[in-house]
Amino acid sequence: MTPSPLRIVIAEDAAIMRDGLTQTLTRRGHDVVAAVADAESLRREVDAHLPDVAIIDVRMPPTHTDEGLRAAQAIHNDHPKVGVLVFSQYIETQAAAELFAGAPAGVGYLLKDRVADVSEFVEAISRVAHGGTVLDPEVVRQLLRTSRRGDFLATLTPREREVLSLIAQGRSNTAIADALVISPRVVEKHVASIFAKLGLAPSDNDNRRVIAALKYLES
Amino acid sequence: MLTGSAPSRTTATPGGAHPWPVPKVYPWLRGHPTVVDATLAAALFLASIAELFLASIAGTQNWPPDVVVGTAAFSAALAVTVVPRRRYPEAAFAVAIALVAVQIAFGTQPSNATPPVRALEPSAADAAILVLVYTLAAYRPRRISVTGLAVTLLAVAAAIGRWAPAHAPHPGAPLLGAVVGLGGSALIAWVLGDHMAYRRAYYASLEDRAERAEAERDAQARIAAAAERARELQEQRARAVDESAARLRRIERDLHDGAQVRLAALALALGEIKENLAVAAGGADDDGRIALLVAAAHENAKQTLAALRDLARGIHPPVLDRGLGAALSTLAEACAIPVALSVSIAERPSPAIESIAYFCAAELLANVAKHSRASRATISAGDQGGRLLMTVTDDGVGGARLSPGGGLAGLLERVQTVDGRLELDSPPGGPTIVTIELPRHA
Repeated sequence: MTPSPLRIVIAEDAAIMRDGLTQTLTRRGHDVVAAVADAESLRREVDAHLPDVAIIDVRMPPTHTDEGLRAAQAIHNDHPKVGVLVFSQYIETQAAAELFAGAPAGVGYLLKDRVADVSEFVEAISRVAHGGTVLDPEVVRQLLRTSRRGDFLATLTPREREVLSLIAQGRSNTAIADALVISPRVVEKHVASIFAKLGLAPSDNDNRRVIAALKYLES
Repeated sequence: MLTGSAPSRTTATPGGAHPWPVPKVYPWLRGHPTVVDATLAAALFLASIAELFLASIAGTQNWPPDVVVGTAAFSAALAVTVVPRRRYPEAAFAVAIALVAVQIAFGTQPSNATPPVRALEPSAADAAILVLVYTLAAYRPRRISVTGLAVTLLAVAAAIGRWAPAHAPHPGAPLLGAVVGLGGSALIAWVLGDHMAYRRAYYASLEDRAERAEAERDAQARIAAAAERARELQEQRARAVDESAARLRRIERDLHDGAQVRLAALALALGEIKENLAVAAGGADDDGRIALLVAAAHENAKQTLAALRDLARGIHPPVLDRGLGAALSTLAEACAIPVALSVSIAERPSPAIESIAYFCAAELLANVAKHSRASRATISAGDQGGRLLMTVTDDGVGGARLSPGGGLAGLLERVQTVDGRLELDSPPGGPTIVTIELPRHA
């Protein structure tokens, strides 16, 4: 599905999930260069292999709280070219905010459940590996619901809200077109209309577009 | 007496405070006052008789038998008044003073022209009046005893006043002797009685004080025991609260590391199968039945994952491990209306307290979203006087009440398990302010 194989490091303390992910990704032609169970080994393997992307569980030994999150931030600082996809049993908006502060290129944050939709998950990994942004629909849903820009959001049509949600998740126009089963040209029209209504500068760059959308929703 | 143990107060106890055995006769006498008083009456009567006898032996008086009998009868009447003195002091005194008045009126005469009734002349039995003055002073209020003393002194004055003129040839010394002897005796009797009353009151007060001191000691011992018990219970409760919080956290972690991750891996595997079947569609499976079954199983696994996540989060929200601030911010973000959050907690409370604060905030925000029709809410949490103070306000319609069995009552119960406080201020028309105060540790 993905043309170029990715070099991947997995950090997940549950062996069953670690192995499952490794097999799935390997079957799809990717190269899992290391699969570890704690944050310290993760840092070591990333330093050694400089992979395209690291998939990181938030809760890992020793304290099982937010080791993964801290490690992801450190890796993102030390190696901006290494994508980090944090996945977690729970979605916490504060964790998302910390992760996406600054320049969130090559950053992803997904609910662990998303592995069930295998292709979408692998696609998200690929996007993060290529410097894109992936935000869990759950976080986007909360952002849209609680954004102080509620009045402006109310001016959007239901379809435009769907599109905005997908933009915030980090989808490209093509992906949005696929997801909504509409033509890419219709998506472009929606995007232009949304950005005009919200007073945002239009941007063709997917990543900058996500950031603009997120900043708008969070401000 | 001072030990306050009544039965042993007068008996000699071996190894007690008395260096020699106290005669058993004193307690016996104290136990039989009527016998004592009857003996006293008999003594007074006998003294009168002895006086008559001695006078006739000395030959100073030559009394006919009828006078002797009259004198004896009158003396007996006077002496008898001391018998009921303890039970009826005033009545006994009144009777005695009446008898004495009769004696003064008829037994003495100012001049020899009218001779006194000889059977009514004052006798030794008149000392009964001294006993009765003593009794009044010892047993009755001072107001009464002073009146008795005054009456007695008047009687003495009257007696001397009537007696003196008949003995005019020799006034001087005998007169002075009579005044000092009779008046002084009455006064001394009163002073002795009064002192007795004072001593009794003093002993009673000592005894009372000793009893009170003992009662106070007992009360203090009981209070100390109760305080000790309260402290024990408090410690037990704190342990129970902490243990239960720790157990819930463990259960959540077990779910996370066990069921949740296995289910996620299963969903991943089902997802793989589903996608592989889709790729191979039209192959072995005739009408796509297996694909449908797998898709259903896949969907089931995903829904179970979501349900399990909600369950685990209800048991112990993992975000609490990152502190109350992070947990409250997640709550605020998830609320349907905008929530302004301000948290300033210098020292983290114990996990059990953080958990109570978190679940209170969650319930209150859910209430705000459901019932208040508010457009915004605020949560503030901070330290105040060593305790955690959290306030949740909204600009809704107000009118919230703490009804039994309601959500707010449940919160109150939860807060009270750690001696916390919950205050609700929600006038009709709003705003609603809920203030929760919790100790830093259970």
